[in-house]
Amino acid sequence: MPHISRLSTMVAVCALLSLLPGIGSPGNARAQVYTIGATGFPSAIRVAIRENNASGEPDPRGRIIYVTNVNFDQYCRDVLPNEWFSNWPVASLEAGAIAVKMFAWYHHLHPVTVDNFTFDVDNTVNFQTYRAQSDQPSTDQAYYTTRNLAYVKANKEIFELNYRAGYENSPNWQYRNAQKMSQWGSQYLALQGRTPIQILEFYYTGRMLLTIPGVGRG
Amino acid sequence: MPSVYKLTIQRVGAVVCACGLLIFWASSVQACTDPLITVEAQAIHTLKSAATQPQINSNDRQSGTDKSPAQNAAPAPAGGSNSSYDPGFTGKGYGNLRVKVIDGRTLKPLEGAEVVVMETEKRYRTDANGLTPWIQAPVIRSARFRFLVNELHGQLNLISYKNGYRDSVHMGVRMNEGGVTKTTIWQYQITGEDKRVEPILYIEPYHRLWLIQLADRFRRPSQIGEGYERP
Repeated sequence: MPHISRLSTMVAVCALLSLLPGIGSPGNARAQVYTIGATGFPSAIRVAIRENNASGEPDPRGRIIYVTNVNFDQYCRDVLPNEWFSNWPVASLEAGAIAVKMFAWYHHLHPVTVDNFTFDVDNTVNFQTYRAQSDQPSTDQAYYTTRNLAYVKANKEIFELNYRAGYENSPNWQYRNAQKMSQWGSQYLALQGRTPIQILEFYYTGRMLLTIPGVGRG
Repeated sequence: MPSVYKLTIQRVGAVVCACGLLIFWASSVQACTDPLITVEAQAIHTLKSAATQPQINSNDRQSGTDKSPAQNAAPAPAGGSNSSYDPGFTGKGYGNLRVKVIDGRTLKPLEGAEVVVMETEKRYRTDANGLTPWIQAPVIRSARFRFLVNELHGQLNLISYKNGYRDSVHMGVRMNEGGVTKTTIWQYQITGEDKRVEPILYIEPYHRLWLIQLADRFRRPSQIGEGYERP
């Protein structure tokens, strides 16, 4: 008889657990999907500032000193010239501007907590290289030209556009296979006359370009 | 004179001669093996001379009255034996620069600060918005790495002065030919708590894409380090 009562207790507990949200088989756990149209354009982003290494550069493994709230447009403008060369062709910069923005937007929607600091991105290559007040006219122009555009999954889901340096004078096919944009590759393709959209299409397959409702270029 | 003294004098004479020869040899070797320093110094001198002449306006440049790169290149190093070395000192190149000076603590613009472009020794004053006028500034690509990896941008050095503030030395401003560059200098007010007042230094970092290329340039399979980038 004690066995029967234990069994009934276990069944009851399991039934209760299955009713609780978020607990169950992994297949039932679904991350929230953020889509264009249903998700507002960010006005600000939380940037964790990490301590500098001995040579005065932010250390990707350094202690987080503080988290600062930065205007989202300003953040993207202060990232782009540190990730792309500001004298590269316009098409390369515009493709880069869309990638920088989508990367930041995705992480704004998926913040992390490290050492009791909650933030969206940090100022190092853990996310994107950010230096306050480092924006340049050519990269600013590329950002604002593409500000109202989003490059998203086919179901309009906002997803990070990842990128890496890659190698000079090559389209960097291996990066296309990995679904990451090569920065040098974007420059190469721009010099070949490709448009920003063609560059994005080359590296990220199965995505589409959308206009963000209610977001202007200014 | 005793032979011992004669021998000593001869030895001292030989040592003096040897030292003289050594100094002469060292100075000639220095002159031959240090073309970078020589060329940079000559080129900077050329730039300074150019800076004292009337500014080239953009129309002149467009109409081709500016010197061609070949005409304006720094003289080749003496000897000309090191054919792989190309100083590539593009003194012909100019970019457009505008500097903003702000208070490092309040982040508000500083009016009346004096910004000096070290390479040209020209001075510019900031307006009410903390901005200098647009500056036609030279694009100087360092010869140091030229024969190893292309310098992907030139660099300029600035100093900003403002009464009541620490001097700010701002090095490595990235410049490109025909490009437009903005940069911001932070200045810090001198307070009563400052025991020792010295200039502030800020060095703009090299671009990460260039650093990757530089590291790859010397990488060998025997010590691959972080390795070549893979997506």
